[in-house]
Amino acid sequence: MSWPYKDLIAIQDLKADEINTILDMTASFKEISRRDIKKVPALRGKTVVLLFYEPSTRTRLSFELAAKRLSADTTALSASGSSFSKGETIMDAAYNVMAMAPDCIVIRYPYAGIPRKMAELLPCSVINAGDGYHEHPTQALLDMYSMKEHFGRIEGLKVAIVGDIMHSRVARSNVYGLRKLGAQVVLVAPKTLLPPGIETWDVEVSTKLDPVLPEADVVMMLRVQRERLHQQFFSGEREYSFFYGLNRARVEKMKPDAVIMHPGPMNRGVEITHDAADSARSIILDQVENGVAIRMTLLYLSLGGSINVD
Amino acid sequence: MVDIPHSSKDIEGMLRDLTNTLMNMIEKWDEVVFIGIRSGGLLVAENVVRLLEARIGKHIPLGALDIALYRDDLSRMRFYPEVRSTDIPFSVDDKAIILVDDVLHTGRSVRAAIDHIVDLGRPRRIYLMVLFDRSGREFPIQADFVGKTIDLPAEKIIKLEASEDERSIIDIVISEVKR
Repeated sequence: MSWPYKDLIAIQDLKADEINTILDMTASFKEISRRDIKKVPALRGKTVVLLFYEPSTRTRLSFELAAKRLSADTTALSASGSSFSKGETIMDAAYNVMAMAPDCIVIRYPYAGIPRKMAELLPCSVINAGDGYHEHPTQALLDMYSMKEHFGRIEGLKVAIVGDIMHSRVARSNVYGLRKLGAQVVLVAPKTLLPPGIETWDVEVSTKLDPVLPEADVVMMLRVQRERLHQQFFSGEREYSFFYGLNRARVEKMKPDAVIMHPGPMNRGVEITHDAADSARSIILDQVENGVAIRMTLLYLSLGGSINVD
Repeated sequence: MVDIPHSSKDIEGMLRDLTNTLMNMIEKWDEVVFIGIRSGGLLVAENVVRLLEARIGKHIPLGALDIALYRDDLSRMRFYPEVRSTDIPFSVDDKAIILVDDVLHTGRSVRAAIDHIVDLGRPRRIYLMVLFDRSGREFPIQADFVGKTIDLPAEKIIKLEASEDERSIIDIVISEVKR
């Protein structure tokens, strides 16, 4: 199967068999990171520019390592410390970067829609590394890969996503992807952190965590996004932790073979305790390892399939 | 027309001749491992290893190599090739590797395979075994063990046809390159 896209903007754009193609290829890329010499020549001569208008550790490092392990050249720019903070518009910045002939731009932006706009206007590949509350497609792909690696399948799994659904692009991308692959999704959050229109999503919703735990195969905890909580969505972190935090007692209520996931960074003591984060059920660090592999797959596919012939 | 074997009996005979040559050339089997280039080379390697194991009565390690990420023509392709897995369940350090491909033509696949192998470790030496050695070399690469030398025009391609269980080679097919 040839890859028909130059960009990756949203899981919503992908068909189920395309998601499966990505997941199936990723094991081969994961193997590269376990070698002594963690580098293959596939993308030699290609340039990947990382534009991050929001703080990021994992995603940015992961993209950078992924590109380097495929022998691409990379440069990372963040909003602070660059002239992005001097008032240049994002599209001016994009055209200026484009003038330096990159083959791929990986962009994170605080508002939805900018990666799509760039993909439409620029000839190079554009990969969305998170845009506002819209999507974070590579995170969802690495999450799905981690589930498939652990359980051998996605179809039929019950996945609980717990926390700040309203402000979470990770939750949105996972919902789209998991539903396409036939998993059941339960979103768990206080009403204040559920987005308007949630009843139109093809998922179950629960405002209580405890009844969901005994039936979920995957419990995915979301970070309480303090930086987005300008308004009061709940009374305090202690109350949130009491009702929605994953602690030892709650881990014991989970199915015997269920796993714990978290996209990071964790607020230990808020949405997840040490007991839960460091328990044998946690596959949180597998997610991080798989993140590099998934991004290698996506860079390889996006940079290879740029011209659609036939 | 070139003389290409088509019956499974003829193909079996070629594989048996290759096995005999190896038996005569190699004295110590302890450090010998086979690596087949996916997918034709792997098929040949599996068949030769099966024959050798029956002869010497011990297990011979066999790995599979996918060279997609090492090709030198990626930047010229309209679509990148599918990446399959490299699966080498042993260390290549200090081993005598018999690298196997179905056809040696330009030498570019073998170049990519050697680059891939040295990324995995430092073998003591690498031999090259091919079922068919055809003219048209673009790189200075030659095989140590050859099933049959053939002369084919550049626009022809030669491919192995595997049985349904993908264990044996049932035919050798020659076709035209699609332009």
